[in-house]
Amino acid sequence: MTPAGETQSPEERGAEDARLLRRIAGGEQAAMAELYERFSRPLYSTALHILKDASEAQDIVHDVFVALWEKASVFAVERGSAFSWAVTLTRNRSIDRLRSRRRRSELLEQSTPSDLGYIETASGADPDDPVAQREHARLVREAVAKLPREQQDALQLAFFGGLTQQEIAQRLSEPLGTVKARIRRGLGKLREILSDRV
Amino acid sequence: MIEDRNDELATLHALGLLEGDELARFEKALAGDPALRKHVEELRTAAASLAHLAPAAHPPQALKDRILATVGRKRPAEPVRGRVLPFPNLIPWAVAACLAVSALWSGRLYLGQRSENALIREQQKLADLELRGVRDRMEAVQIVRQRELDDAERRLTDAGRRNSDSLREMAGLQKQVAEARLKFADACVRADDAEQQIAQLAHKLKDEGDLAQFKIATLASMLGNSPQAVAVAVWNPMKQQGMLKVSKLAMPASDKDYELWAIDPQYASPVCCGLVSMDPSTGEAHVIFTAHRPINGVAKFAISLENKGGMPEPHGPIVMLSE
Repeated sequence: MTPAGETQSPEERGAEDARLLRRIAGGEQAAMAELYERFSRPLYSTALHILKDASEAQDIVHDVFVALWEKASVFAVERGSAFSWAVTLTRNRSIDRLRSRRRRSELLEQSTPSDLGYIETASGADPDDPVAQREHARLVREAVAKLPREQQDALQLAFFGGLTQQEIAQRLSEPLGTVKARIRRGLGKLREILSDRV
Repeated sequence: MIEDRNDELATLHALGLLEGDELARFEKALAGDPALRKHVEELRTAAASLAHLAPAAHPPQALKDRILATVGRKRPAEPVRGRVLPFPNLIPWAVAACLAVSALWSGRLYLGQRSENALIREQQKLADLELRGVRDRMEAVQIVRQRELDDAERRLTDAGRRNSDSLREMAGLQKQVAEARLKFADACVRADDAEQQIAQLAHKLKDEGDLAQFKIATLASMLGNSPQAVAVAVWNPMKQQGMLKVSKLAMPASDKDYELWAIDPQYASPVCCGLVSMDPSTGEAHVIFTAHRPINGVAKFAISLENKGGMPEPHGPIVMLSE
């Protein structure tokens, strides 16, 4: 755990992430270890929530960090934050694997959290996270909680479900146009709230 | 200002929900619209923050060690560096840039191939996991089947043992049945004997009862030529049969026969009971007789001397008469 991470603002944290990626591009393994401490929990939690399989989630996180190591030099801060990049890599790879192993994942969905080799906290908050990261997570959860329930459901399914637009509509028993509108309004409002807060 | 339609497409693109032609058209539009690209990046950042909604989970320490070990064997891609050059110097650099672009393109191909290889390795790993799972399930099924087989064999052995016991018990029961049958046959024989004895006793009792009803009469001579003649007549009313024994009665003349009569009050005249044939050597007669008509009650017996062959009704003299 990096002590500095506990006192950083979101902007400082983003800048520090970018600096770490530049050091990684220079081949510094210590920077890689530091980035792991900052990113590993949210990335692992995301992969695990999508795949419901601890072993597969670890494989995904491993591959994402290796990709960050290999591609750190092509990271452009003007194209988004390092964290956003890492989350996108993690989510896309998890969903690819979920779709290729759909049947296996469906079986695992019937398992209990303790069967999956990890313990979920009811709120999703992790007391061991750095303070700033924990604060940011709290902001996100509060922002999502302010959205109408149907927008929250649509966003959760769109981000973690690994479903197509049509599958999301089927799952929610709503017309495709309604689902698209809910996703658009929900994500747009989330972007506004977070940008105001941050 | 982003149009609603593009805003919707940008949102779906930020969440990776665009596919096929829709994705191709939007990426084409994106390439020529920096504002739209910026909008997509902002939406992608907002979407990435949704990762914080996942329940918190801790990766194992071994994962960090594994990642650091992996990156320790790799070199990061070299950063692309650039600097501003005077125009005349750009031409060779342009050639170099073309070469660099060509190299980058080749590198992308290489990376793409490597990604595919990595994907194949992942799929291989998944297949191995699946295979291991199948093996485990097969092993579990085998263990369960073996247990069921052992159980079935044990039950079969128990059943065999119980069957032997049952056979022994059945043999004992058959022996008991045979003995019971012998005893029953013996009892039947004894029952028949007893029945016969009872019948004999009943018959004897009946005879004794019948004897009480017998009519026994002594006939005395009525003639002067055979004053010592005596006769006894016994009449069984149930059998309607009687016996007559005569002694010391003179033989009748050759053209005469003695004839026995029973006097029943219900008839006006004596009832004929047949001839009495005398034995000339002993002067006695022993006759079993029946009445020619049914007798209800015998009042007297009489013997008359009739013409040879006898008469249906008495005509001759009475030679003997009961009291």
